[in-house]
Amino acid sequence: MSGRLADFAAGLASRPWFARCGLALDRSEIADARAWLAGLGLDAVPVERVASWRDAARLIQQPEWSREWWDAETAQAESLRHAATALLGEKACLEALTDVTEAAAALRDRAAASLARAGLDDESLAKVAGGAAAQACHQRGLAILAGVDESHAFAAKFRLYAAGRWPLGIVGSAGFVF
Amino acid sequence: MSSAVASFKSVKDLAGAPEDYRLALRKIVRSHAVNELYGARVFDEPAIALAPTPYLKWLACRIAMEEYGHHVRFRQLGEQMGIPEAELTPEGRKPLSIFEFPMKTWVEFCVVKLLADLAEIIQVEDLEKCSFLPLRNLAKMTMPEEIFHSQFGKDTCTELVKTEAGRKAVQEAINRYFPMMPAFFGKKDSANNALYRKYGIKQHTNEAMRADFMKRVTSLVEGHLKLKLPEVAEAA
Repeated sequence: MSGRLADFAAGLASRPWFARCGLALDRSEIADARAWLAGLGLDAVPVERVASWRDAARLIQQPEWSREWWDAETAQAESLRHAATALLGEKACLEALTDVTEAAAALRDRAAASLARAGLDDESLAKVAGGAAAQACHQRGLAILAGVDESHAFAAKFRLYAAGRWPLGIVGSAGFVF
Repeated sequence: MSSAVASFKSVKDLAGAPEDYRLALRKIVRSHAVNELYGARVFDEPAIALAPTPYLKWLACRIAMEEYGHHVRFRQLGEQMGIPEAELTPEGRKPLSIFEFPMKTWVEFCVVKLLADLAEIIQVEDLEKCSFLPLRNLAKMTMPEEIFHSQFGKDTCTELVKTEAGRKAVQEAINRYFPMMPAFFGKKDSANNALYRKYGIKQHTNEAMRADFMKRVTSLVEGHLKLKLPEVAEAA
């Protein structure tokens, strides 16, 4: 399992990070967004596209963001951590996840490049997007170590990132993808 | 003093360095490796849960990664220098007093970044002229991120003090955390610091760096935020 995670970490650099942000969502992206939120055990909500970096930044600072969504992700991550540790031991898990974290450190630069293509220079937002992507890599890494299948919420969420998107979570009564 | 000191361009060159130079370098690299990881564990990682919006949660994720990344860089240098791995992590070590602060709120995290990262900048600035080039390069590499973290503390506190409740919370956090800061710079007339300066590893005395911190933090807290710094004993 940790070999599969090493392959995952090695492949991170080749993904088109943030390359499709703002474009219309296609059918498979909408399906992945639904699978992500449904996999967290949350009630179904409509999936909406966010059109620009500025709109994305505003949205994720709205007071009506869903704590239930964030807590559901935290609980899933914790459950996967327990499962992975039981399978492989704590030290092996931590070492494997460290490789993912170190590979994901470069994602801030990919966000900054996408911002630059949009004519924006915003270091804080580049770090926010880089932090979100790194968190998704960590969650996907936990899912791989725990041996769960591709239908897991974190697998679906990672597919959105891997397609060049930024899944922004639930705000108000909709799930948003940039 | 440091201008007459030889510089060493690589870990390999250390073979020809005086023994106490090598020992002094090991102490300082070990200290940075341990403290970067300590800070990430006790402040930056827990801050993700405390942050009030996804924007700030993901920014806290990134800051934690960057602090952890600093640890990794110092640890790698330490390993190249032959420092045992066990000496490069916090396990089994008494933490610096600034890491014993029981951080429980987002406001406290913002104040930690405001104060502790300014102190860190002053330490790293000193290393930017270090006689050991790998350490000098490491200081230059980490500095932009340290500046961002400190600016994050300033920006978030500036937002918080716009409301009366936020102003009160920031002041209370400063009242509790700031007294731990002067000791961060080490003891007056420290033997370690004298050794660091003898070899140009550091340029300034602990007292000078503490005084620089006091000047900058007073401008930040009292000049910019219009809050008060509590009275503290400046000499450790």
